[in-house]
Amino acid sequence: MIKSFAYVRPTSVDDALEMLGADGARVHAGGTDLMGCLRDGVFEAERVVSLRDVPGMRGVRASTQGVTIGALTPLAEIARHSVIGEQYTALARAASVVGTPQLRSQGTLGGNICQRPRCPYFRAGFDCRRKGGRICYAVGGDNHGHAIFGGVRCHMVHPSDTAAALTALDATVVAVGRAGERRIPIGDFFVAPSVDPTRETVLEHGEMVKEIVLPPAADDQRSSYHKEGHRRTWDFALAGAATALRMTGGNVAEARVVFSGVAPVPWRSMAAEEALQGNTLTPEVIGRACDAAVEGAAPMRHNAYKVGLLKGVLEKEMLRYV
Amino acid sequence: MIRDAEGRYWEEGQEVFETPQAAPDPKPWSETRVVGTRRMRVDAYERVSGTAEYPSDLLLPGMLYGAVLRSPHPHARVLSVDATAAEALPGVRAVISGFTPLNAALRPHEQLIRETLFGPVRRFEGEAIAAVAADTPYHAHDALRALKVEYEVRPFVSDERDALAEGAPLVHEEGNRVGDASTYARGDVAAGFAEADVVLEEEYRTECQIHVPMETHGCVASWDGDTLTVWESTQGVFPVQAGVARGLGMPLSRVRVIGKYMGGGFGSKLSMGDYTLMAALLAKVSARPVKLFITREETLLSAGNRPPSNTRIKAGVKRDGTLTALDLSATGTGGAYRAGGTGGLDFLVRELYRCSNVRTETQDIYVNAGPARAMRAPGYPQAAWALEQMMDALAEAIEMDPVALRLKNISLVSQVRGRPYTTTGLEACIRDGAEAFGWEAAKARAEATRDAPVRRGVGVAAAMWGAGGGGPPATVILKLFSDGSLNLNLGASDIGTGTKTIMAMVVAEELWVDPDTIQIEHADTGTTQYATASGGSKTVPTESPAVRAAALDLKKQVLEIAAAQLGVDVATLALREGKVVTTSGPSQEVPLARLNDLRRRGVVVGVGYRGPNPEGKMVNPFAAHFCEVEVDTRTGRVELVRFLAAQDSGRVMNRTTYDNQVHGGVTMGVGFGMTEKRVLDRGQTGRLVGHGWTDYRIPTAMDVPTSLEVLPIDLGDREANSTGAKGLGEPATIATAPAIANAVHHALGVRITATPITPAAVLEALAAQRQESTR
Amino acid sequence: MSSSKEPPRGDGLSVSRRGFLTSMGLGAVGVALPEITPATGPEIVPAGDVTRIALRINGRTHPALVEPRWSLLHVLRAEVGLTAAKEGCGRGECGACTVLVDDQPRYACLTLAVEAEGAEITTAEGLMEGEELGPTQQAFAETDAFQCGYCTPGQVMATEALLRANPHPSPEDIRGGVSGNLCRCGAYENIFRAVERAAELRSGGAS
Ligand SMILES: Cc1cc2nc3c(=O)[nH]c(=O)nc-3n(C[C@H](O)[C@H](O)[C@H](O)COP(=O)(O)OP(=O)(O)OC[C@H]3O[C@@H](n4cnc5c(N)ncnc54)[C@H](O)[C@@H]3O)c2cc1C
Ligand code: FES
Ligand code: FES
Repeated sequence: MIKSFAYVRPTSVDDALEMLGADGARVHAGGTDLMGCLRDGVFEAERVVSLRDVPGMRGVRASTQGVTIGALTPLAEIARHSVIGEQYTALARAASVVGTPQLRSQGTLGGNICQRPRCPYFRAGFDCRRKGGRICYAVGGDNHGHAIFGGVRCHMVHPSDTAAALTALDATVVAVGRAGERRIPIGDFFVAPSVDPTRETVLEHGEMVKEIVLPPAADDQRSSYHKEGHRRTWDFALAGAATALRMTGGNVAEARVVFSGVAPVPWRSMAAEEALQGNTLTPEVIGRACDAAVEGAAPMRHNAYKVGLLKGVLEKEMLRYV
Repeated sequence: MIRDAEGRYWEEGQEVFETPQAAPDPKPWSETRVVGTRRMRVDAYERVSGTAEYPSDLLLPGMLYGAVLRSPHPHARVLSVDATAAEALPGVRAVISGFTPLNAALRPHEQLIRETLFGPVRRFEGEAIAAVAADTPYHAHDALRALKVEYEVRPFVSDERDALAEGAPLVHEEGNRVGDASTYARGDVAAGFAEADVVLEEEYRTECQIHVPMETHGCVASWDGDTLTVWESTQGVFPVQAGVARGLGMPLSRVRVIGKYMGGGFGSKLSMGDYTLMAALLAKVSARPVKLFITREETLLSAGNRPPSNTRIKAGVKRDGTLTALDLSATGTGGAYRAGGTGGLDFLVRELYRCSNVRTETQDIYVNAGPARAMRAPGYPQAAWALEQMMDALAEAIEMDPVALRLKNISLVSQVRGRPYTTTGLEACIRDGAEAFGWEAAKARAEATRDAPVRRGVGVAAAMWGAGGGGPPATVILKLFSDGSLNLNLGASDIGTGTKTIMAMVVAEELWVDPDTIQIEHADTGTTQYATASGGSKTVPTESPAVRAAALDLKKQVLEIAAAQLGVDVATLALREGKVVTTSGPSQEVPLARLNDLRRRGVVVGVGYRGPNPEGKMVNPFAAHFCEVEVDTRTGRVELVRFLAAQDSGRVMNRTTYDNQVHGGVTMGVGFGMTEKRVLDRGQTGRLVGHGWTDYRIPTAMDVPTSLEVLPIDLGDREANSTGAKGLGEPATIATAPAIANAVHHALGVRITATPITPAAVLEALAAQRQESTR
Repeated sequence: MSSSKEPPRGDGLSVSRRGFLTSMGLGAVGVALPEITPATGPEIVPAGDVTRIALRINGRTHPALVEPRWSLLHVLRAEVGLTAAKEGCGRGECGACTVLVDDQPRYACLTLAVEAEGAEITTAEGLMEGEELGPTQQAFAETDAFQCGYCTPGQVMATEALLRANPHPSPEDIRGGVSGNLCRCGAYENIFRAVERAAELRSGGAS
């Protein structure tokens, strides 16, 4: 059960940043991940800074410049938003398969991309490398859910569904700190364990995500997201694929393919993209893209199935475009 | 149960003590008005309004909250517990451990505290070390964090497959074998195999399943002088009372246990837990009521489980489908203590199908893990997983339909016990089930999908349950008040199976009153009569005959009162819709509320006892489950398209709760077969991996079959007992997982011999199949 | 609720409110605290202190003294005495604690009580129409959509949320609507029936 913390509910971005400057201060958005982390002692909070009453951080704004989504926008709202559903289907789908209806009505987009990993060793009292310890327990232990790509030092998989979709849609994360605002391309937002196994994002202490910006969607852009988990609800992705394609005629003019559930960061597969680009989506092309997607996979003792699963997920996703 | 010359009763070599017989059992009903209909539960209002008070809902003035510190190591000696800092925290009222000084209130329980509850050697992760009570659960957990414990960490073994290896760390000094292997043999197995046209051998594994009832385990304990009241989430208030009285050295009369509502148990709440004694002790030392419910994390570690099993079966069959020999050897583990780790594992092989040559051997093994507790048909789902897949493999090998092979080997007698069943619906479950399911058509439909990416398959599995006949003791009191309303008083718990409603229906059947006029008082050792725990699927067959006997006893008295008042022969009288009426001679009637003698006395009391089971017969429930799956070969996803459960549980008492029980059994079987697996960090830290339902996954609303049908098979059992009911809750879960496994095999042509059938398992099996075929 | 339910009191905790931080025995807490206007900057409730909040629950206002870390679930059950919402896990993995916050379904165990201030909270108790069951509850009773009943208030609230947003759900909508609520007894089949029946009853369907 949760340790004591101080609580504050600022009513402006400036106040929020001021409050976040303190040691041990943590952002509270929807709280769905934060509460679990505090309960399980994944990390501690000396001060919880609630963004609830900070104006201007919630909601979806569409303009010719694209769509801006406030960090505090609940996932349920994103899932049923008509513009997102039509022009950024991958994001709407990803938001609609996060957890459960309750988690989606409470959880926010900002919180979703800033949530901590779900590796059971990390979550449950093991002093693992991500917590500053010396080993990654998944290497010698149960690793059925772990990474087949990019597992260096730590083999967790990134838990977020929306992160993969946002990556496929080439989003930009707008972060604010006391030093001002930074616009971070989503591809630079997540930190691979090869760089630093103790953090998942480039956010500095005291910084927070203010909003997420999606570039204008080309008329011929279509996108999609699908994940497979253990169960049909609640569970994190064992493997998922976010895809965004521009099609001219029957041809793929441009493709972005990003996987969830298989790597410590949303895993963009240039190889799969290349196999698709400039081609018609025939079974052979799709097959080549699937093979390319899993090239270089490095499964561990219990997760070799993810190689096949990922191909299966991608194949089914590509068939949606046909 | 058998009766000897002196009139004593015996079962399985053990003398059974029972309540006196008020009257010889009546014949089962030949026609019913109320029993067998669909009826809303008597406590539906309470349960859906949120007013039902579960033990964890109870709030008493001044109540504190307890919490337990549990060992983080699979094996360790506790060297010291320093509670100084914890005790100094705000809101902390009591700390007990094997090392903290004991005040006067606790000194009499020194041995219990120092050696039993918090004994120095802890043999599994999650074994208790200390307990605290504080103003809020938050403060209680603050106190746990402030306890300083020194451990001497010891080597451990967390998996029974490693525990018998040379040099494996010892859980107990005497070694990791829990006694010698249990063996059984009949006939000549070698001869049986020699006779066979086909002999197959296969190994099966089932993973550890955990009960995880929605309400965790715990109680509220409150002292009044030297009388203790415990509100416990339990399947049986009397076993809890007995355990607490024994543990604390108190007379039964001073321990009152109340457990009216409870949020699920599935076998894990048949008796008290360590939490019960800790709550009582914390309440004693703090002189305040204490609520102690363990956390979800603790339920995964320390509140029991269905242990893992490893089973090898060798089976012989003739071309015509006759089973010639069955040979089973299995290992299992009850965890760190003697907890029946292999109990029930071989029973189906010995009993379910006719076979003259059978040999079994089971070995229970100690490991450093939480002890098993009975879980919904202990041993049977594991056994069915193995046997029913083997039956399928045999059918395939001799090119016989799996339904036909099973029908070929029906036994009308209990082969283990050498006595006939009162009724056996095994054949009817399989035959009628297959017909209702549309087995042949579904099979053909499936075979048309062989080359598609999404393939269909059908599977069948059968089961029986070795208990489920119920039996004595049970005592029930039925009171008729002067206004004609009734109070039914029985000690049994209603764990969600609808016991209360069924018992009200039995009274209504016998007395021809509206079931809604019956108030039920139950599950309170202070005010209700002795009953065994609600488990073993025996509550209805145990209690309903006693309730019927009480109703008949009451009826007899009421009719006598009426006969005197009306001046007619009692034999001409009957009860009808709240009145006594004449059934012959001049028509007369008197409403119950107008019975003068009843009004003078204020109450008439009927008493009923559970009589013995029929001599020389076995009372067992049977089942057959049918399943149609769709398997996506690209993702390994198995969709349960259709499911049918044919159940012979004797008389259907309330069709509404009957169906619901079967749904629940199938759902738990889906979990066992497809989603649930306790993961211990084998060979590394030995600790539980994943502390909640994100990692220990039970079926959600999206994981149950799209269509789920229940087919009751009621053969009209006139011998089992006076209501003709047999148990249902457990037999409804046994055959589910193997039916699914057989369907997956039918769809894919690969056999998954280890639970759970996850997408990963399917993909791995398909990959192995591909490798095989390219070799 | 039975009258024996009296919220437990912590002693020796301190109380803070809007710039007014003080240590006081909880005996004094029945007394109204003075209104203090905040000084500059947002006011911080220190760790371990209790703060006074007002929760809108089932249309009534409930003042409560809470620590920042207390969940809405704990406060509902132990402080306010509304025990229909249940704890099954305390970490968003079961749904037994489901309540509505401004008509949206939420896990009360993952919601801080202080965060729920100002919102309209609805629990199963709040669906009652006097002594009578509300239509969603009535539907659960009629269809036997429970066994032990422990998950039921949460299932009822998830259904209520679904039907408020979508009065005529398809079978897939129904499964999705209760997909955030576990039932270990496995009563799902009847829960689906209950949601269908509730939709009927709510749109004035035959009873
Ligand atoms: C049982 C369960 C199942 C889940 N299943 C899924 C799933 O299937 N897929 C999935 O993607 N997620 C899943 N989640 C994870 C997650 O809780 C939600 O996805 C949610 O979106 C998190 O948002 P929140 O607003 O509640 O975050 P919070 O809990 O408030 O915050 C999460 C973390 O991010 C930080 N943070 C939040 N907002 C910001 C911000 N604006 N700037 C900087 N830091 C911030 C917080 O400090 C905290 O560390 C699940 C969670 C649970 C409990
Ligand atoms: S108690 Fe809140 S989700 Fe389980
Ligand atoms: S009715 Fe028991 S958990 Fe749902």
